[in-house]
Amino acid sequence: MNDSVLDARSLTKSYGTTRALAGVDLTIHRGESVAIMGASGSGKTTLLHVLAGIVTPDSGTVTFQPSTGEPVQVAGLGEGARSRLRRERFGFVFQQGLLIPELTAVENVALASMINGVKRADATAHAASWLAALGLAGMEDRRIGELSGGQAQRVAIARAQATGADLVFADEPTGALDSHTSQDVMNALLWSTTGQGRTLLVVTHDADVAARCSRVVAVRDGQIVSSAVTA
Amino acid sequence: MNARVLTLLLRPAKGENAVLALPVVAFGVVTALVLTVVGGAQSFWTWTDDYAPVYQALAAIALVLLVVPLTNLGGAAARLSARRRDERLSTLRLLGVTPMGVSVATVIESVLVAASGAVAGVVVHLATAPLVGLIPFRGTALGTDAVMLSPLGILAVVGGVLLVAAGSAVLGLRRVIVSPLGVRMRTTVSTVHWFRAIIGISVLALVFVLVKVFPSVAGLAVTITVLAGLFAVALAVLNVIGPWVLKVSASRQLRRAERADRLLAARLVLDSPKAAWRQVSGIAMASFMAVFAGTGVALMNVMNSGEATDADAALAVDMRTGLVITLVASFVMVAASVGVNQASSVLDQRDLHRSLHHLGMPLDTVDSARRRAIMSPLLVTAIGSATCAAVLVFPLLGIALITAPESLLTIGIVLAVGIGIVWASTRATRPLLARSFETA
Repeated sequence: MNDSVLDARSLTKSYGTTRALAGVDLTIHRGESVAIMGASGSGKTTLLHVLAGIVTPDSGTVTFQPSTGEPVQVAGLGEGARSRLRRERFGFVFQQGLLIPELTAVENVALASMINGVKRADATAHAASWLAALGLAGMEDRRIGELSGGQAQRVAIARAQATGADLVFADEPTGALDSHTSQDVMNALLWSTTGQGRTLLVVTHDADVAARCSRVVAVRDGQIVSSAVTA
Repeated sequence: MNARVLTLLLRPAKGENAVLALPVVAFGVVTALVLTVVGGAQSFWTWTDDYAPVYQALAAIALVLLVVPLTNLGGAAARLSARRRDERLSTLRLLGVTPMGVSVATVIESVLVAASGAVAGVVVHLATAPLVGLIPFRGTALGTDAVMLSPLGILAVVGGVLLVAAGSAVLGLRRVIVSPLGVRMRTTVSTVHWFRAIIGISVLALVFVLVKVFPSVAGLAVTITVLAGLFAVALAVLNVIGPWVLKVSASRQLRRAERADRLLAARLVLDSPKAAWRQVSGIAMASFMAVFAGTGVALMNVMNSGEATDADAALAVDMRTGLVITLVASFVMVAASVGVNQASSVLDQRDLHRSLHHLGMPLDTVDSARRRAIMSPLLVTAIGSATCAAVLVFPLLGIALITAPESLLTIGIVLAVGIGIVWASTRATRPLLARSFETA
């Protein structure tokens, strides 16, 4: 687990006069789970966005090393290439799930693969297997509104995995859930990522969630103030 | 809620001018169209000859046909208004303002937005009256004075538009939940039963028989009245069948969808076939009328080509002119309604769109899906309604196709252009979607 999957150097990012990132260096190793913690406005979500290629930094580099192929300079890619990178190599889980309400659970998961050119039948079968693995067998045809918060979040986790992402970014994945459901969701998230040899990066306020990860990185005023391996 | 709070709520916020402009433009279009059509129609009421009642009756039918797209547009504008204000409305609920109070505020705002649009519509009406006055009826131009409404008439039309805006706002708000935690659309899946098809087809069959029987047993005046009544019944039936047909069509598309945008488009329609129908129902009427009345007009042209009086010949030409005007007005209103509905929908789902952008979903996929979700029901509706009308007047349509193809071709072109206008309105909201894809 010593080879890096993501390597960020000297990242800076400002919004107007507000400095969100002030020279961040961070290396994420393949197969580890990293929690980024910090107060509101500390820059942790901006860091996640920059690492994932959602926004570009004002300066600095982000190097992504896929499981196969050459390293990719994320920040140097154009908008279209970054979108493609996110679609094909990264997975995302958001606080509210943010699934498409008109689609069923299995369609939400299969959609990402279909956009990548996978045939619908194959994408659906693969999506259904992920849903089953995450304890949602029999719920494939339910609409998102018919699922509980925890179930919807597991659908989001399945969606993040269905394309075979090397690296999953999760932004407050348990923020809208009660503590019991949070544990279930974190179990599912960790099993489907590090449990399968993949890498997880979580932004969270929740110390319990952070404690489940293999490393906790603390961010304050746009800088990393500590990085500690959990017991 | 006191006036001060209301003023704060209604004050335009920074950066929402484009969203505010949409319903204003929509109501401007509505007002200008209604003023123009009513203005044109009023000129018929100054006539006193034997043919005057026919012109007046046809003008009245045309006006009635415009009510449905007008109402849909009002509802769409009201929903957009609610979405645009979501944070303020939610805050008001959080502060203890009752749902009724929030509804009142939203309705007042919708009426104010409609009033701004109506004023613009009046200006457009006055500016275009000389052009509209050039349209010939009975072989001569109507004239600017004839088509320009009196100040009282203008006030009455503006009042009517505001009333529709207020009424539609109330109806539109029934589909929106304004809670202290946010504004969201109701997510209950609407069900559309196949029983609708049975009722619809039965009534259409009855209308078909009556259409065939009546002209042979009654006089001209009674026949026109009964046919107009049957026309209305057939339209009502289309409203019953329409959502079911769209559901069946979308279900078929869902089964066959291999691409992400097609899958999403079919699901968007299936989520609420009734809403999909509401959006395009104005086209159902226009399309139905185009074939139903167009066939009659084409045949009148043929029958009058021999020994008809000048008045008969003029009536046939004028009916075609009136038909084309009504069709254009219907399509423009549906296009405005689609534009406003799309804007409302984009605002409603901006968080979702932003997340899809994060996932790397191409903007084109979502854009294509939402446009397909409009255009597919539109085409099904236009073709389906035209087919219904064609069945009702089947032998006459056949004769008209052979004897007066140019009349039907004209109407066909108008329908095609109308569909093009709606397509253009779906394109017009792409920049709004693109903005909601941008990162915060």
